[in-house]
Amino acid sequence: MFRGFRFYAKKRGHRQTWSPKLGSLGEALFFGVFLLFGCGGLAVMIVTLLAPEWRANHDFIQTTCKVLDKRIGHTQGEDGMLYRPEFKVSYSASGEVNTTWTTYDIHKTYFSSLAYAQGVLERFDIYSPERDNRYPCWYDPNDSCTVVLVRGYSWWAWALLAVPVSFIVIGFGGLVYALLTWGKSAERRAAPARRMEESRLFPSNGSTAASAWPDFLPDGVDLTNSPGTKLRYRLPMATSPGWMLFGLLAFCFVWNGILLVGVVMTAADFFSGYPNWFQTVFIIPFAVVGIGALFFLVRQLMITLGVGPTRVEISDHPLHPNGNYRVFLSQSGHLTVEKLSVFLLCEEEAVFREGTSTRTETRPVFRQEIFRREGFEIQSGLPFEAEFELTVPAGAMHSFAAKHNKINWRLVVEGRIARWPDVKRAFPIIVHPAPAQT
Amino acid sequence: MSNVLFLSLSILLLHKLKTMTAAPRITILLEGEGGTYQPGETLAGEYWVDGLEPEQVKAVEVSVLWHTEGKGEEDLAVHDFWRYEADHGRPFLSRIGGPFSTVLPAGPLSYDGWIVKIKWCVRVRVFPRHGREVVGERGFLLGDVQRPPELKPTTD
Repeated sequence: MFRGFRFYAKKRGHRQTWSPKLGSLGEALFFGVFLLFGCGGLAVMIVTLLAPEWRANHDFIQTTCKVLDKRIGHTQGEDGMLYRPEFKVSYSASGEVNTTWTTYDIHKTYFSSLAYAQGVLERFDIYSPERDNRYPCWYDPNDSCTVVLVRGYSWWAWALLAVPVSFIVIGFGGLVYALLTWGKSAERRAAPARRMEESRLFPSNGSTAASAWPDFLPDGVDLTNSPGTKLRYRLPMATSPGWMLFGLLAFCFVWNGILLVGVVMTAADFFSGYPNWFQTVFIIPFAVVGIGALFFLVRQLMITLGVGPTRVEISDHPLHPNGNYRVFLSQSGHLTVEKLSVFLLCEEEAVFREGTSTRTETRPVFRQEIFRREGFEIQSGLPFEAEFELTVPAGAMHSFAAKHNKINWRLVVEGRIARWPDVKRAFPIIVHPAPAQT
Repeated sequence: MSNVLFLSLSILLLHKLKTMTAAPRITILLEGEGGTYQPGETLAGEYWVDGLEPEQVKAVEVSVLWHTEGKGEEDLAVHDFWRYEADHGRPFLSRIGGPFSTVLPAGPLSYDGWIVKIKWCVRVRVFPRHGREVVGERGFLLGDVQRPPELKPTTD
């Protein structure tokens, strides 16, 4: 009946069963390191990027300078050679004439493009006494040898702030959460905060019982905000065929676009007389997926465009176990229907981690045919319509929605249509606990 | 070498036996002997802890909660929660334990599905001043939902 607190215990599923205190400590350390990196990064950025730029714009003193010489400085970067314009300038600072080599801006920025650096260099001409060409420059009053030929703010320096700031936000938030939940049991954390009143020494009333409508039922607002034409509510479809089509189209476009490049390169090798067999074999599985996606797209297109809309309406919502309801079905299109059925379906859905991926498993636990019609024609502009009864079984489980586990009820319309792919359209419904039980 | 190993094992075994015999025990009793309850009914009961003196206990938490079992990650929600703390210098006065009572909610109802199971229980967690937490649980059924029949599974 009891179980002791253990540092190690057998894991159930994918849950961590280390000591909760060690877990909290690890969590705090993890986010603490994030916060530390963020603060360190922000400090470095302020000192090296933002503060010099701000000083150049606010503290530096303006004067004029002569450009005595200029050149392109270069250094070896990670991705190749980098270039920057450099100028030998002469200017008056605090009553003295300074002559020094300087860069264009306060950041001493290197550019990957030599042409760009050349362009900057060409904007400044060498001083000639005849023209007396001088340029504005700004020098640091604390160090008159530091001088720049341009001022202003670099957007990229401010955009870079997003990196350390995001580290700080994540680290601080995580650290606060870890400290707030430090040493607290899973039940204490799960107890609703608004009703949480800690008590001392056996109080007479320390209860925190829930009184509002519970959160375990899925939100059914979308299911009742559309009135029906024959019955009270028109049920929305689980997945709009338009969205599915759009998703498929986007996938086919991206996948086959990339694939096409590979196919063209492979074909070019063949035509040049030097076939690359490794590349050919490598590309085959990708081509199979691409062709499969195209086939699925065409099939979905046929279903969406060829089979008209399916409308399902219901006399009341939410439903209750042992409750009787009227259902109205309307199917449009120009079709020869071999079979059209409506099923009442209940499915369990579990979300779990498997390694680093999250998987969802569904399992039907109740499936009952509530309507069937075979061998009939649907004429264009004259939709097939039928009204029939639905009874939710007594003793059935109600709908349930938690973060990782769900119990979903739905009406599923399945059609077998001549010369068309089979059609399956689902309409979610919500089953509440029986009224007598509430 | 073997003597040292034998001595170490003996000490470990003795320590284990000592901790086993000294392990605190939590007893939870429910009115109606923990059978099936209906939403809106009052769940009442009593709990007590043996093997711990009142001054050894820092805090006790009593929860009425549901949690999921099965294939998915665990979901847990607390319907009712009490936490009792011993003040500094003012320990629990008498034995650790007491009655509890709560009106049960509309749901979720207990459910014994194939990959999703919903379990209700009363959970008592004792925090000793020194040593490990001790947890005791007593399950009960909320509602009388039938177990669904087996149908063919599908996986995404």
